[in-house]
Parts: sequence; C-alpha cells; structure tokens
Amino acid sequence: MPADNTSASSARSESAWVRWTLIGGALLFLALFLLLPLVVVFAEALRRGVDAYWTALTEPDAVAAIQLTLTVAAIAVPANLLFGVAASWCIAKFDFRGKNLLITLIDLPFSVSPVVSGLIYVLLFGMNGLFGPYLRSHGIQIIFAVPGLVLATIFVTFPFVARELIPLMEEQGSDEEEAALVLGASGWQTFWRVTIPNIKWGLLYGVLLCNARAMGEFGAVSVVSGHIRGETNTMPLHVEILYNEYNFVAAFAVASLLAMLALVTLVVKSALEWRFGDELAATRH
Amino acid sequence: MAIQVSGITKRFGEFTALDAVDLEVKSGELLALLGPSGSGKTTLLRIMAGLEGPDAGSLHLNGEEALGLKPRDRQVGFVFQHYALFRHMTVFDNVAFGLKVRPRGQRPGAAEMRRRVTELLELVQLAPFGSRYPAQLSGGQRQRVALARALAIEPKVLLLDEPFGALDAKVRKELRRWLRKLHDDIHITSVFVTHDQEEALELADRVVVMNQGRIEQIGTPADVYDHPASAFVYEFLGQVNRFDCMVEGGIARVGNGTLAIPTEGGVQGPAVAYVRPHDLGVSPATGGPGRIAGIHVVGPDARIEIDLAGLALEAEMDRERLATLGIVAGDRCSVHIDRARVFAR
Repeated sequence: MPADNTSASSARSESAWVRWTLIGGALLFLALFLLLPLVVVFAEALRRGVDAYWTALTEPDAVAAIQLTLTVAAIAVPANLLFGVAASWCIAKFDFRGKNLLITLIDLPFSVSPVVSGLIYVLLFGMNGLFGPYLRSHGIQIIFAVPGLVLATIFVTFPFVARELIPLMEEQGSDEEEAALVLGASGWQTFWRVTIPNIKWGLLYGVLLCNARAMGEFGAVSVVSGHIRGETNTMPLHVEILYNEYNFVAAFAVASLLAMLALVTLVVKSALEWRFGDELAATRH
Repeated sequence: MAIQVSGITKRFGEFTALDAVDLEVKSGELLALLGPSGSGKTTLLRIMAGLEGPDAGSLHLNGEEALGLKPRDRQVGFVFQHYALFRHMTVFDNVAFGLKVRPRGQRPGAAEMRRRVTELLELVQLAPFGSRYPAQLSGGQRQRVALARALAIEPKVLLLDEPFGALDAKVRKELRRWLRKLHDDIHITSVFVTHDQEEALELADRVVVMNQGRIEQIGTPADVYDHPASAFVYEFLGQVNRFDCMVEGGIARVGNGTLAIPTEGGVQGPAVAYVRPHDLGVSPATGGPGRIAGIHVVGPDARIEIDLAGLALEAEMDRERLATLGIVAGDRCSVHIDRARVFAR
C-alpha cells in the first residue's frame, strides 16, 4: 500500500536535503582539512618547476636526511614488529599477574607527549644524564647520534603493532594452536603455520602504521637529534630547518616525499583489503 | 587402546576441578563423560589429551605412563567444542595438517597424502568440499571436518569435547546417529564430554556421571538411568519428583501421611525420595487428596501437574492414556506410586 510505503521509507531515511547537507558538510570538511593541505604541499614544492624540485631532493643534506630516515625506520619497525608480536602473544594467550599493567605500559607512548619521550632519553643517556659519564668514558654516543634517534623512534612507535594484534589474538583465542599441537605440530610449526597466518593482516596494518609514524616522527626525534645537518637530521627535521631558512620550495619538496609516503601507505592498505577481502573476512570470523 | 586414569587431581586456584578421579576406559568402547558445567569433565578430557597437566595422579595410555608425553606424542585425536578449524586453510589443508607437520621421514608423499585426505573426506561425506574454507561451511559440516582432521593422524584414542553442543537440535540428532555408526565401523576407543543426558544415554556404551570434580557413577546407559547410585544422578538424569520423607520399616511417609511409598534399600529415618514422572500413577477420584493443577501436551506425551495437599508433583503419560482417564485441570484425583528410590538425608 502506498501510504505504508511512504511512512516506512521516511522512518528509515531522512529527507533529501538533510542527507545532502550532511554529505556536503562531510565532504567540505575533508576537502578543507585533508585534501587542500595535501594539494598545497605539492603545489608549493613544484612552484619553481620540476628542476628546482629535483635539485632540492638531490642536494647532499636532503639525501642524507632521506637515508637517515630510512635507516631509523629499518631498525625501529622490525624491532617493534618483534616486540609487538611477542607482547600480544603473551597477553592474548596467557594469564599472568601484571597483565593489565603491561597493557597500560604498552599504551604509554600514546599518552605521553613525544617531546617528553625524547627528554627521557636525554636525561638517561645525555652528557649529564644518568648513564652519561659511563657512556662517555667508553666512547659511546647515543644522544645527538643515530642510536638516540632509533631509541626515540622505537619508543614512540612502540604501541602500533601490539595495539593492532592484541584484540585480534584475544578474539581468536588459542583453540587453533591447541588443535595444531594435538595434531602433532611442534611449537615452532604451530607459530608459523597457524598463529602467523591468522594474524598476518593485522600484522601488516600494524607495520604500515608503525612505519608511517616512524618516518614522520618529529617531536621525540627533534629533542635527541641535535639538528646536525647531513648527520642527525631526519626528513621531518630537515623540513623544519629548510622552512625556518625561508627555503620554501626545498622544504615543501621534502615534505611532499613524506606526504607521498602517507598516500602509498593508504593505497597499499586499500589494495590489500580489496585484493584479499574474502580471506580477511574469513580470519576475522 | 585402553586409558587408565588413577587419582587425577586438578586445581585452578581455589577451585578443585578434579578430585582424585579414577577411571578406566576400555579398548574400543565409546564412553560418555556426563555432568553439569563445572563438574570437571572437560578438564579430565584435556588432561587425557595433554592440553592440561594434573596436580596429582597418573595417566596410562595402553599401559604406558603418558603424563610425561607431550600432546603430539600421545597419538590422540581431539575434537574441540567450537571445532577450532584452521580458518585460513581450506578443508583439504585442514585435514592434511596432521600429516604435513610430521617429521620428514614419516611424512607421506604428495600423492599418498592426497589419497588419504580424500578417503577421510569421503568418510565424513564431504568429498566435494575440499577447496572450501571453514567459514563457508555449516556447523554440522565443520564438525565433520574437525572429526576427519582428528582421524587423519590415525589416533589410538578419539576425544570429543561437547561434540554437538554448538549445533541445532535436528542436526545434532543426525550427527549423533552418524557418529555412533562411524564408531561401530572403525571401533576406535572414544571418550566424549556432554552435559546433555539424552545424548549420553543414546550414544555411549558406558556413561560416567560427574559432579563437582568427582565421579558419581559409572555404568551402561540403562544402569545409570534405572539404578542411579546417588541422589545427584537421579536428579541429573531426566525429570524427577523429589520430596522429603520419613522412612519407617521400609515405608516412606510424605507430609502428614498424604503418601506412603514402599522403598528399596535399607534406609531408615529422614530421607529424600525420588520418583520419575512416568512411575507416578494418577486416577480420577471424586473427593481424592490431589487436584489436577494443569495439563501440558508436548508432542505424543502429556505432562500433568498435581497439587497433593501443597506438594507439587509431576506425572507423565501418553496422550491416549490421558484420553482414557478423561481428566481435566481442576479435577480431584488420587496418586499412587509403585516405585521410589530413597536416599538418607
């Protein structure tokens, strides 16, 4: 009956203008706060043409910054991958005293300002820090050097993998691992053939996010870096220096690389979801 | 393969899950561990499989001490309550898993493995489903995959934890018959855990009734139903009327002498009497001591609620008998009991 239809449909959906206002508002917000800045980054980077852009990216200090960022990420991400899997494994599969404390500690880097995280390392390993005299007498430099950058980055990106995996592993329980053990698999076989395949998508998400943050981290890294050009400047720090020197094209050129990293991360994530959607759904069931 | 459980005790913190349990599972039999949740039946099964270690006691599989053995060395097949199928593997790979993880020397070749898995899938009637994922199967199909997977390693013992618990009533009944037939064909020593007394009575060769970490009774289904060893077993197996009584000279008197029932056994003094609803006779009697409080017809049977001077009783009979008696709710009636089991209070 027509009367029933109208009432039923109006009960479920708002009138057209409400819908379009809401959608329009959301799109406008996205355009203004996400899309526009992204476009500006690339526009500013290419303002003096492709040659200037390329020069800015290939001058020695920029190359050093890019290499340093890749190095730091190459150490921090695998470290946090290992830590994240180990932590979520023991949190999800075992009961022990202090479990909640461990979960809280894992979240700590999210709740502490990155600048504070950096300062902690300065206070520990700096010249006048707790371990300062010992390190100096053995000729080890951590602060204002690559080890400090790696430590600060590991600290800040600590929670990404674990946060992604803990809920997933808790939901999956340990039935499948037990089944594998009864069927004759060793602990090692169980881990590689049952545990890892079940968490691989969560793991990949965690690693992507962890990597994006590791390369983009500013605050903590800024405190421990010392801003030595060509030596301890990562990409975000290099962007800041160039910007403060009014070298806008170069600053935006390096920034565009970081923006591209974000875009690539998003595209890879979406591509994986699209390509392996079925399998993904299966592992979540 | 026979299983010998002696004095097995298991505690979880303050809670005693198993309290010095002794049990012998005979070679080739199908044994049910029956009990309410928290009775320790699943813990006992998991200890047999090696998924849990006891605090005391010993376990022998085929005469050999087994507590020191890891699950993988015990040659047991375990079917989990929620199947625990490997969700990222196809049905075929699930069944093949136990063969694939064998050490290189004992691992069958690809062709042999394919033949064995196909054979098992045919046994559980799932041959066309080899390339599906568990998420694409129904509950009953998943259960059969779990069974095929457990059988693939040619276990000496099959352990099943609430094998039908997660299935709907109709599928449960079909699968129950099918499992019984499978057991009759392959004769593997099997132990299954259930809280459903009907399932245990229908399926098992012998039933072990458990309560609060202890075994209450072991016997054939007819044994435990007809001759319950304890008040708990009486109450747990099927519907029952329970009332407090005084036993004097073999006669149990209920209330102020509203009922006098001959008893078995030598109980004297205060006791609890149990009568199954189908052992309770009802006949219409004008001015009788009882009143028909309600009649519920369920399928072919009728349940009759009786109010006997404040004592609520339940009788059961088929519908034809009910029609012959011609009673309706509100009628007066008399009650007679031929058989009652009493346990000292």
